[in-house]
Amino acid sequence: MAKSPMRVVVTGAAGQISYSLLALIARGDVFGRDQPVDLVMLDLPFAKDALEGVVMELQDCAFPSLKSVTATCDQTEAFTDIDVAVLVGAFPRKPGMERNDMLAKNAEIFKAQGALLNTVAKKTVKVLVVGNPANTNCLIAQKYAPTIPKENFSALTRLDQNRATAQIAAKAGVTSDKVSQITIWGNHSATQYPDAWHGKVNKDGAEVAASAAVNDDAWLKSDFITTVQKRGAAVLAARKLSSAMSAAKAIGDHLHDWIVGSEGRWVSMAITSDGNKYGVPEGLIYSFPVTCEAGVWTVVNGLEISEFSREKLTVTAEELSGEAKYAAEFLEKASA
Amino acid sequence: MAKSPMRVVVTGAAGQISYSLLALIARGDVFGRDQPVDLVMLDLPFAKDAMEGVVMELTDCAFPSLKSVTATCDQTEAFTDIDVAVLVGAFPRKPGMERNDMLAKNAEIFKAQGALLNTVAKKTVKVLVVGNPANTNCLIAQKYAPTIPKQNFSALTRLDQNRATAQIAAKAGVTSDKVTGITIWGNHSATQYPDAWHGKVNKDGAEVAASAACNDNAWLKSDFITTVQKRGAAVLAARKLSSAMSAAKAIGDHLHDWICGSEGRWVSMAVTSDGNKYGVPEGLIYSFPVTCQDGTWTVVNGLEISEFSREKLTVTADELSGEAKYAAEFLEKASA
Repeated sequence: MAKSPMRVVVTGAAGQISYSLLALIARGDVFGRDQPVDLVMLDLPFAKDALEGVVMELQDCAFPSLKSVTATCDQTEAFTDIDVAVLVGAFPRKPGMERNDMLAKNAEIFKAQGALLNTVAKKTVKVLVVGNPANTNCLIAQKYAPTIPKENFSALTRLDQNRATAQIAAKAGVTSDKVSQITIWGNHSATQYPDAWHGKVNKDGAEVAASAAVNDDAWLKSDFITTVQKRGAAVLAARKLSSAMSAAKAIGDHLHDWIVGSEGRWVSMAITSDGNKYGVPEGLIYSFPVTCEAGVWTVVNGLEISEFSREKLTVTAEELSGEAKYAAEFLEKASA
Repeated sequence: MAKSPMRVVVTGAAGQISYSLLALIARGDVFGRDQPVDLVMLDLPFAKDAMEGVVMELTDCAFPSLKSVTATCDQTEAFTDIDVAVLVGAFPRKPGMERNDMLAKNAEIFKAQGALLNTVAKKTVKVLVVGNPANTNCLIAQKYAPTIPKQNFSALTRLDQNRATAQIAAKAGVTSDKVTGITIWGNHSATQYPDAWHGKVNKDGAEVAASAACNDNAWLKSDFITTVQKRGAAVLAARKLSSAMSAAKAIGDHLHDWICGSEGRWVSMAVTSDGNKYGVPEGLIYSFPVTCQDGTWTVVNGLEISEFSREKLTVTADELSGEAKYAAEFLEKASA
């Protein structure tokens, strides 16, 4: 293989999402079959045996793209010299825990990870934060890694985009690959705003506006939005386990499009709101529609934002500002 | 897409192996990206909600190759008109259960499935039995589906082959894709015989015998064999869960090579021993080295079998004959 190996770390590597994701990465579906990967798995000490079991399985899969696989509980070893970091691991919300407690616990974790990325990762590292609260965890990691370009940090809203796309496809009576330009704005949370107003559907050989194909604006303003916002909970209720398969697929899609290119397609990524032209406050990690080429994302600008949409964009921005403020204050007190 | 859709049923669809496998099939990695698939999931009623959750996830993955996905608890509906059946579901061995009890319980299940395949599946259906005891379950299903060609039935030993290949690769200091011709003979059980004597390793640009590359015949006759035989238990001990990811990969490999062709590569498949030239008793489902082309497998004949190997081939054949006899007697008594 001509390409030099790409060093990829996955945290929370012994968990469910990672189990589906590692196979995807090792198979070559994420970075391309011609891109050899040195895969590094990181998790907490209690998961050491489980990690070793997954290493055995990855070896037994005999994937040609997988140049090496290592499991470690040592963060420094895991983050050294990496090209890509997929931060799946985070402190889960336990029953009875307030959202702010979860924010606080994760702020510490992602501060440490950001600082570590700052010292031992390649300066060109691309970081995808999946562990929730994804946007705010990403913001914190970015803040504590000032020598890594801000645009190298992103959080995952691709799962929400894929879910929204599937809803539009079902409503319009086509398969998902016939639907494009569905956007997720804002926070990967209940305030996310699934927006089909700029979407397109390829139906019976012709490309039409998604809203025309769906022919139900009331639905687009109500049930469509809530169904996508609550899809995670719906899968959890049915499976009694969270959406590992579809989350892994979305992570693979996000990384592929970011690094290999989106071929003109609009994809949703939560990235720095600095310099944005949509009136979203700066200093946040906010999901926008972007296109990707040569490893760089560019926001799709100039989209018309209706009054209805403007209100939605604002609600999710305010939630993000609140989270950012709370986390920053917590970290200041903690280090005082 | 030019190809007409392939109807594929997976039983035990709510389980772990299926969770990894369904994503693989839906993605297009098994039958090719140009082969649309109508995926049917079958499991027992208690797993109905879990299956619905997986349907949601597959929908959210937005795989272009996945033309449709249905979940059902109705065997007849599930097996109607199918092109491919992947029988993952089987009665698991509970603590304290004797192997013969497990044989008996599964004999009833696979007799019913065989009879059903015989009546409602396409006559061209290809059947892969994964649920253990795989070889004997396959033999029974085949017996009760007399109008489906015997060669359309197979059981999975590809996982063992992939594991054996990975062991040889590690010993020879190469990646798995540089190792070929590793064979699994016999039963997918502790008596399986991993055979590297006809294997090849591509090292430093030259192709050499695997035994030369490993340079440790004593190991090939002992630890190599036992490591592969016990790999499943090793993964289970580490993960506290069985090898879903690598099993799914092996199932995908087996189906791909069988249906799309193995391009001259030797692959291990447990198939009918009728007409075999290796002195294995007829009337068994026994793993041989085969090549596949145009949807047909052909045993690699004429391989030299040493005295050491002959003894191993016989031990696993004896075990299979014993299982077949026990299952057949049980079913006769049950229907008397």
